[in-house]
Amino acid sequence: MKLNDWQAAFEAYLLGDDPGVAERFADTFVGGPSLSVGTGMKIYHNAYRARLQEVLSADFPVTRQWLGDEKFAELTGQYLRRCPSRHYSLRWLGEHLASHVGHDTPLAELVRLEWAFTLAFDAQPKEPLALQDMACLQTHEWPSLQVSLLPSVQWLDCRYNSLELWRAAKDQNSLPESKALEREVVWLVWRVGLNCYYRSLDAGEAAALRGMTHDKWTFAELCLQLTNSFADNAPLQAATWLKQWVTDSLLERKFD
Amino acid sequence: MHLIPSCPGYGLGLRSTYYEQILEQSPAVDWFEILSENYMVQGGKALYYLDAFAERYPLVMHGVSLSIGGPHALDRDYLAQLARLAERVRPAWISDHLCWSRGSAHQLHDLLPLPFTEESLAYVAERVEQVQDVLQRPLVLENVSSYVRSANDAFTEWEFLAQLSLHTGCELLLDINNVYVSARNHGFDPWTFIVGLPANNIRQLHLAGHTDYGDYVIDTHDHPVGDPVWALYQRTLEHLGPVATLLERDDHFPPLDELLQELGKARLLADQALASREMS
Repeated sequence: MKLNDWQAAFEAYLLGDDPGVAERFADTFVGGPSLSVGTGMKIYHNAYRARLQEVLSADFPVTRQWLGDEKFAELTGQYLRRCPSRHYSLRWLGEHLASHVGHDTPLAELVRLEWAFTLAFDAQPKEPLALQDMACLQTHEWPSLQVSLLPSVQWLDCRYNSLELWRAAKDQNSLPESKALEREVVWLVWRVGLNCYYRSLDAGEAAALRGMTHDKWTFAELCLQLTNSFADNAPLQAATWLKQWVTDSLLERKFD
Repeated sequence: MHLIPSCPGYGLGLRSTYYEQILEQSPAVDWFEILSENYMVQGGKALYYLDAFAERYPLVMHGVSLSIGGPHALDRDYLAQLARLAERVRPAWISDHLCWSRGSAHQLHDLLPLPFTEESLAYVAERVEQVQDVLQRPLVLENVSSYVRSANDAFTEWEFLAQLSLHTGCELLLDINNVYVSARNHGFDPWTFIVGLPANNIRQLHLAGHTDYGDYVIDTHDHPVGDPVWALYQRTLEHLGPVATLLERDDHFPPLDELLQELGKARLLADQALASREMS
């Protein structure tokens, strides 16, 4: 058997569900004094799954706690069959778990939340826009000011109490029942220095931040957009939110 | 007894469990070996600690994803990241394993054994040269532990490693525990393996623990180094002279002090072995 063919058979064996080795393939190996080919191959077969499921378990501890060990193993087993690893680093193994479990379910949202922390944890660091930078802005620069979110900032539109579950797990408390929220809430997860942070945004603040960072509003456009809700106080509200986002280290300045 | 200085030193595998404690206590470890893939990220704690360790200790880089014998083109993105990491770390050397860890389509995340055939030798040698061209230095390759062996082997593992080193100039990382594990599993003499390697091309030694299941042994890195491996280590140093030695632990992490004591044991046994070599 050529090297490539032999490796293809080995790969298929590892990815398959059956730890038994087909006779024709088994014939390409020799065993040891007390280690049979079948046992030796099972060591590889078991190690493949165990290693990958251990990584997913470490990356999604709250999901595991919420589902229980057995259901989590079932879920990750299905996931690994459907989405075998394609990245050399195990850090990316769980990248598609959220899409694997579907959309708009409590499970999918919890998975997305845990993955958001993973993404924030080692995202590219960038110097955030600081209050001091804002203080140095010339008057004529304010209307055209544009900002974007720093790479570590993860945006989550949540319909369930996933954050409550996550917090209970982190506090080593028993998990509350999963339930739908009365209205959708935006949660941000991000990193400053070495620490990850999270907070919720009400609908008005979320729309304002989305406008500036996603829809490319300038500060003048933000003020204009807020006029409907805040009338003459729109510039003050815009400045208040902007100051909060800068204090949170969420933004960098964008120059078009 | 006159003891030969413990040169070129004794290192520990750097694991996040110990980051803070090591930086606080600055233990007398000569160097640390990092797992390259753990630092192929854009930011965060891993790179922060990497830079902190690089300031304080010599580092070497040890990878698990090169897949030098895999049935796929070499991953140029991975190699570029490895080269970038090397620029940041300035490692004394860069190692990976003589194995394959990626299939034709998927990453398998294991150190899988290669058949030791002429075909494999030519294939791996050509790829080692490609890697060395990118990294602009000799690659250091480690022998892996294995649980099956190809029925079509034309070489023993040590003959294969020796030939590969001869053809490509690559250096060798001799994992004493892996030799022991594979020797038990396949029924060869571990000493024949060790003396079969080109002594001058051995850049580094690995020591680690295994789990003995009676009929077979698994390389688990979750125990202290076993007595038969210590014995083999001493005999190896008597044969080779001083070689950089690294203690690995990847699971069931003990308190740092225990690991440092184990590294101290390596120093002591090495000193004895090197003194004995001097006298013979």
